[in-house]
Parts: sequence; C-alpha cells; structure tokens
Amino acid sequence: MEYQRIRYGEPFQIRRRLGDLFRDVVRIKGVDYERGKGFIVRDYYALANLNKILIRMGLILTPMVECAICHRSVDCEKCGFTDVCLKDVSICLCDECLSSEDVVKRYLSVSKQSLDRYRRPTS
Amino acid sequence: MNWTEKYRPKTLSEVIGNEDSKEKLVKWLVNWRSSDKYGVLLTGPPGTGKTASVYALARDFGYHVIELNASDYRTAEKIMERLGFIAYGNTLESYISGRPKRILIFFDEIDGIDPKEDRGGLDAVIKIASKKSVPVIASANFIDPVKHKALIDNFEVIEYRRLTPKQIYIIIKRISELEGLDIEDDMLLEISRRSRGDARLAINMLYAVSVGGDINVVSNPLENMPLDMLLRRISSSSSQLEIKTLLDSNSNHWEDVLYIYFDIISRSPVMKLERRVELLEHISILDVILGRMKKERAFFLMKYFTAILSWLVFQSNRWGAVYDGRIPEYRLYVFVLNRDVRTELDELLSKYGRRLHESRRKFIFDSVLAASLTNPEYENLLKWVAKMYGLEEILRRVKQYGVSKN
Repeated sequence: MEYQRIRYGEPFQIRRRLGDLFRDVVRIKGVDYERGKGFIVRDYYALANLNKILIRMGLILTPMVECAICHRSVDCEKCGFTDVCLKDVSICLCDECLSSEDVVKRYLSVSKQSLDRYRRPTS
Repeated sequence: MNWTEKYRPKTLSEVIGNEDSKEKLVKWLVNWRSSDKYGVLLTGPPGTGKTASVYALARDFGYHVIELNASDYRTAEKIMERLGFIAYGNTLESYISGRPKRILIFFDEIDGIDPKEDRGGLDAVIKIASKKSVPVIASANFIDPVKHKALIDNFEVIEYRRLTPKQIYIIIKRISELEGLDIEDDMLLEISRRSRGDARLAINMLYAVSVGGDINVVSNPLENMPLDMLLRRISSSSSQLEIKTLLDSNSNHWEDVLYIYFDIISRSPVMKLERRVELLEHISILDVILGRMKKERAFFLMKYFTAILSWLVFQSNRWGAVYDGRIPEYRLYVFVLNRDVRTELDELLSKYGRRLHESRRKFIFDSVLAASLTNPEYENLLKWVAKMYGLEEILRRVKQYGVSKN
C-alpha cells in the first residue's frame, strides 16, 4: 500500500490513473477538481470518502497537519479531541507543545513571526 | 465588560487559528491597489475570528475602520449616503492634509443584504470597492453562490474555518492566565471540547465557569428553539438581559411572542387594569415597529423591537401575567403546523382555487370540505382549514349531521 501526503484545500495530483473512477471521485462532497492544478480535498470526511475509492488502487491519502509551534507532523487519529474535531485544517498543535507551560506565549510568538514577514512600516 | 470584547485581539498575531487565511488577508492588504479584485470577502461560521481579524489587521497597518453592519445599511441609497464621500476620496481631512486618509471599510454580515429585496445594496458595495480609493473588506457567515455571484466574482474570497479544540484551548488558557483564574486544566479542555470550534462560545463558557456557573447552561444552543420552549424560558426568566438574549437568538418567533403576550396580558386575572393598559400600549408600539420593519425593510429597528419586547415580557412576568402553556385559539395553527408546511398548504389552496376558477375562500368552503367528507385521509387538512378560517362550527355541524355548509 502506498501513502500520499496531502494538505487540505491545496491542489495535488493523485499518483494513480483514475480512468472511469474520476467521475465518482469528483462527485464526493468536499472534493473538487481544478483543470491544470489537480484535486482539492476540503476536509477529513471528504478525504475518508475519497480513500474508500483509492484504497482499491493501493493508495491511501493522509492529511498533512503540522504543529503551529514546532512544525512537526500532527497525527489527528491519536489526538484526544479526534471525536469532536472537524479535522479540516492543516495547522494545529501537537500534544507536546500543547502541554508545555508557556504554550500561549510560544504560539503568539510564532504567529507574530510569520505575519511580520508581510508587514510594511506605516507612514 | 464582556470578555469577548475585553480580550478582542489587538494585533493579527493574537488572532488564534486560521493561519493561512490570516496570511492571505495580510498579503491582500499589502497589495490591495494592484489586486485584480475590488475587495476581500471573509466567509465562515460565527466565532472563527473574521471580525477580530479585520480590526486587528487595521490596527497593525494603521487603518481606521469604518464598519457598516448589513443589518442596518442594506439599500444602495443608505450605503452611498454613509460611504459615498469616502469612496470618491472627498474627505475634508484628506483635502487639508494633502494625503488620503487611511480608512478601511468593513461590511459586516454582508449576507444580510438580499440582492432581490434590498435593491442595489450589493451593487453599491461593489461600486464603492471598485473605486479602489480605500480597501474594502466584507464578512459573511454564509454566501449563496447564486444570490451573491456578483460579490464572489469581484471580491477575493478567504475562508475562515472552525477552530480546532486545541486552538480554542490556547484562547481560553490565555484569558484564564490574564484574569488570574484558578480553573483546572481539565475544565479548560472540557470547554474546548464543547465549544464546537466557536471561540465566542468558549469564552462565554469560561466566564460562566469563572463565576461559579455551569457550562451546560451556556453550551446549550439558544438559537432556533421551538416556540413553546422559548415561551417557557422567557416566562420563567428573572432577568431582562436573559430574555433579550433569548429573543435575539430566536428572531423567527418574535411575531408569535408578541401575539401570545397580547393574549396573556389581556386575560390575566391578577394584573391591575392600569398595568394591563400600559403593557398593551407597548404592544401596539411593537406592532407598529414590526410592521415598519417588514414593509420598509427598516432592520435598524430590530434593536428597539427586542429591547421593548424584552422589557414587556419581563414586566408581564413580574406583574403576574405568566405564560401558562395555553396557546391562544387564534394562534393555534402556528403550533399545529410549522411555517413551511403552512406556506406550502396556502400555496396549494390558492393554486387549486385558481385552477377551478374559484376564489380561494370559495374553494376552501366548497371543494375542501367536500373532499374531506369523502376522504378520511384529509381529516387533518380539514381541521387545519377550520382553525385557520374559523370554521369550527361548520366542522362540528358537518361531523354531526354529515351535511355540507349549504
């Protein structure tokens, strides 16, 4: 079985020829196809339905969710909130960062750094 | 002060969650003049940080926000009256200072503008944005791709998603630290679980916990309550603020509440006559406001309507005219069938009346009664028609003697 990492809301090419299954795939709610760009999966549930088709072809798509603070990969399946979370974002928090004492401070600091890139001095 | 206001993010980096959307928003503002779109449209459920992002962004980049709530300014005339001068860059300040004033226009809840009913409202928004004299940002909870096509075509759409429970945890932990609350981490995690990705709800739950309240009370959705439940809640409430909150969240029942309280006050055996007169005078004012809101689409009157109605309910409760679960006879059909079914039936009756070249009333009197007699399946329809048109007597006689109205 081959695994392919994808990001929610970002176009990607499926590493298989879909043929007749293309129609079934684009009919899934939350899965779009943009000519020239590829498929876009909107959320976890769309991904689960898409995987039901792709698994027959030996491919499983897995969401790439990264921690906003340490940028490590986050596994939604092992998260304590998996039953109440929509799992439709690509940036969340890993358990280690969440349990750290200064999590708020670190989160705000990282967020500030990423946005400061675009900032221009005001006149 | 309300905690959602008190802890409103000061800078965009303080807005937790939706990192991609925030980046897109900043990128757009940096290059808004050269962008091929006129403005930006933020869409997403309540409590995801759309409004907070706009104000924080404006603060970061030194803009002054002029906010228009689409509930108050819906028509082209009103929007242009309020903003036209800014769109054309003719402010006195810019003339004196010799440089354009840094203003950002924010249309909140733009999905409240109906392209058909509020003629020219959306066109006015697009027209103002198309001048590109000031950056224009709009926000909406839900955008209809057909109704709001013009808006989607001309504005860059940025989607805000519900926050993850972990992001909610960051928000409430920060407030908890700033407030110096002694709340255990397990409780914060529980609030994060129950908040359904809505930061505003989570903050309200945290507040409830901080004052010794129960999060179940806050986490229960107040919106779209059935009418009987809403009536029970407002009649048992001891605070006008609570009544107002309930009414604000259930605008679809305002008319029903007004009529039912008219009935309750009119037949209250314990209320003094002068108090009854006072309350009924307020009901007549509310009736006028409601009529004007509907006819002229003057939705800025909403705040006055709920303020007076909540006062009326509160005073009625205090003076003894409490809802006893009885439904006034003439409003019974409201409870028998829901609004959609009633509309459907109304349309059906009118349609068949027209097809048979009869007036609607004649069709109901003659054909429906006859059909109901011959077919027991239509008994419910007959009952509904009888209640609706005051034909109980006829129905009773029909059942008793098995004869038609004639």
